[in-house]
Amino acid sequence: MKKTLRNDLILIGVLLALIIGGLLAVLLTRKKDNLVAKIYVQSQLVEEIDLKNEPDHDFVIQGAKGKLTISIKDHSIGVKEADCPHQDCVHMGYVSETNRPIICAYNQVYIIIEGNSNYDARIG
Amino acid sequence: MKLKISLLLLPLISLVSCSVSKEISRKSFYFDTYVDIRLFEGKVENLNDINQIFAKIDKLTDNFTERNIDNIYEINRTNENVVVEPELYDILNLSFSSNLASLNYFNPLCGSLSKKWKESHENKAVLSESVINEELTKMASSGLELLGDNTVRRTGESEIDLGAVAKGYALDKVKEYLDVKNIKKYLVDAGSSSILLGEKDGGKNFIVKVSNLPNSYLELKNCFVSTSSLSRQFVEMEGQKYSHIINPNNGSAINLHEAVIVISDVGYLGDILSTDFVNESLDSIKVLEQQFNVKTIVIDNSAITYKTEGLEVINK
Repeated sequence: MKKTLRNDLILIGVLLALIIGGLLAVLLTRKKDNLVAKIYVQSQLVEEIDLKNEPDHDFVIQGAKGKLTISIKDHSIGVKEADCPHQDCVHMGYVSETNRPIICAYNQVYIIIEGNSNYDARIG
Repeated sequence: MKLKISLLLLPLISLVSCSVSKEISRKSFYFDTYVDIRLFEGKVENLNDINQIFAKIDKLTDNFTERNIDNIYEINRTNENVVVEPELYDILNLSFSSNLASLNYFNPLCGSLSKKWKESHENKAVLSESVINEELTKMASSGLELLGDNTVRRTGESEIDLGAVAKGYALDKVKEYLDVKNIKKYLVDAGSSSILLGEKDGGKNFIVKVSNLPNSYLELKNCFVSTSSLSRQFVEMEGQKYSHIINPNNGSAINLHEAVIVISDVGYLGDILSTDFVNESLDSIKVLEQQFNVKTIVIDNSAITYKTEGLEVINK
């Protein structure tokens, strides 16, 4: 009887270890809750910004043909000024959600926020 | 004992079913936008191969830059015979196909007119009627001869613009590649206007947010989603929004619809139809979507004015 009880306890211990280990593995492979803005220039990642913790400020990046003033405001990111003819990137305004990129085709700049999202892609 | 083994296996099975596929991805600049390649199975070499497909089609269809290759830019600079890469011949063959004759607002010969509009947008001016008429006259007397053996000859003065087909065609080639490699879990997003969807873990649908509609989503898999929309690329002058999509009949840059989404089995066709449908009447769209076997959503003033029967838009 004692032996059976000991075996049962070992089995329960193994099960608990597997469950905890598995849960940890799943949690660690999931994306963090933080929203991280990634800035690419000519396909190269040049800046990563944790929007949750970043204070409001402006900074300048060099695009393929000109400069862009990037602005962080209220945990969102936008292009304040840009050396480009169409100003599409400026018109896109401030973004604080995932999968909604800001693109400056003229300067080959791409800004995307990554993090947990309730959708996989955005059309339009 | 059996009960104990079952107890042991149960959490293991649960954990396996809970686990998610490891995603590999790459973002690259092609077609004047960013292409986001996301594979939920496969290897980095697959990302490299897909990247190469985009690089090649981008190079062949670029009408703005000399790329040291006989691409559309070179074809547009001569009325002589030009021998092109098989892929470019294929794109031209598809774009000038008689199968597209029923489309009222798609004309690949609007390249010169599109460039004129682009220049005027940059100067914050509306293109003059005289310039528009001049370009329309050129378009009417221009064409493309497909001579076989990958040889083409442009006739007339108008330039050919493959902007409405290039991304979709590249996605078709990517899908062909993924099928050969037996990769089924993927999402390839070409600038949020042309998206190729495989499927998620367990054969589940992807959730695609519709930008032009508040809190609206599509649940889709194994298809292409294309859109033509005013939401991103427009210039506002005197209270009027001017699009990058030109009506090839009257030369106007004012579109009939705010946005059109086309869901199709063929990428290049989805792209062409979304470009065309943005100026088609709703009655025409209803006929054309049946002819080309696609599903459509038409959006005006941030609301759906038409969608194919049975196509579900989820509001969350």
